[in-house]
Amino acid sequence: MIAGLALVAGIVLGLILRPTVPTWLEPYLPIAVVAALDAVFGGLRARLDGIFDAKVFVVSFISNVTVAALIVFLGDKLGVGSQLSTAVVVVLGIRIFGNAAAIRRHLFRA
Amino acid sequence: MSKPPDANDSRMVSARLLIDLVNNHLDPGYAAAAARRGKDARSRWYDRPAVIAGCLLIGFILVVAYVHTHRSAPQAAKVHDSLVSRVRAAQHVADQLGNRVTDLEKQLSNAQRQALPQSAQLAKDLTLAQLQAGQAAVTGPGMVVTLRDPPTPSASPTGGRGGTTPIGATNILTDRDVRSVVNELWRDGSEAVAVNDIRLTPTSAIRFAGLAVLVDFQPITSPYRIKAIGNADELSTNFAQSAVASRYQTLQGVNHIGFSFTDAQDITLPAGATVGLRYAKVLNRSGGHR
Repeated sequence: MIAGLALVAGIVLGLILRPTVPTWLEPYLPIAVVAALDAVFGGLRARLDGIFDAKVFVVSFISNVTVAALIVFLGDKLGVGSQLSTAVVVVLGIRIFGNAAAIRRHLFRA
Repeated sequence: MSKPPDANDSRMVSARLLIDLVNNHLDPGYAAAAARRGKDARSRWYDRPAVIAGCLLIGFILVVAYVHTHRSAPQAAKVHDSLVSRVRAAQHVADQLGNRVTDLEKQLSNAQRQALPQSAQLAKDLTLAQLQAGQAAVTGPGMVVTLRDPPTPSASPTGGRGGTTPIGATNILTDRDVRSVVNELWRDGSEAVAVNDIRLTPTSAIRFAGLAVLVDFQPITSPYRIKAIGNADELSTNFAQSAVASRYQTLQGVNHIGFSFTDAQDITLPAGATVGLRYAKVLNRSGGHR
């Protein structure tokens, strides 16, 4: 409940502030979005499983974003940035799908 | 799965990684934290602020990414869309006008046929003149010459940026090549020539604009198929011996362009665009015959 409210508050805050993203941060934005979605679905599933933990939620989100950004940054330096960001998106995408399926099973028992 | 893999097998490490990836989506940290806390889960002081801060951050990131993507996209997309729609509209208008031209020409030829007595000298003259001016569709034996740009080189494997292939490497053939083949075919005794099914008339121009060869202001692209009607044997013999043919055979070996010519027994060429005389005027209207 409070998490949903905070999510909406974040969205409203972003819409009001409309910050400009610095150019050097641009390539990491999609990665951050996918990592954020992963954190949301993971947290929701843990909540439904009854094992949600605020510390794990925040730390896993921040570390996921950081590690994903680091991988892409390293890839950019090595010249395989686009391939590595594809890898990150694939891995996180599989997790999002799996967690969404688990949430669906919890909610609809189907 | 018929036989579950043994998790302790050291050879299965990489496979286990993939199985974990597909089967265990939840961060193991949740389960570990739950086990550590045990059953009597008391809420700690930082639980609620941490969730609020995390969700706030996530919502913020999502909306920033959305706004950012949609801020830069519209201008480029709008310009692109408007250009595309303008081109489509212009093409539509051009198609309609082309259909109208065809209709009107059909009416005109009907009217001419009715007005002129058949088998009269005047009708024969008119037919011959129309044929020579490329105003009538014609059929007959002849030959087909095909020029083809070399295939686009595949993207370099070293992560090169797309679109860095120099234009000269892919567009070797230009208007000059098409023109020289056409001129050679006229010289070899063609009676009618068409490039990519655009009939050449006495006032046709083959030019080059941007990356497209224009025949009478209609863009055509590789492969360029040049069809000529004439004495097939004579045409192909003369053409095979010409300097133009040997030049393109050399280019075929060096630059890998496609170049081939065959004689054909039955070629049909469409009528060309109407020639409107803008400056020349007929001197003596009564003296129709030369």
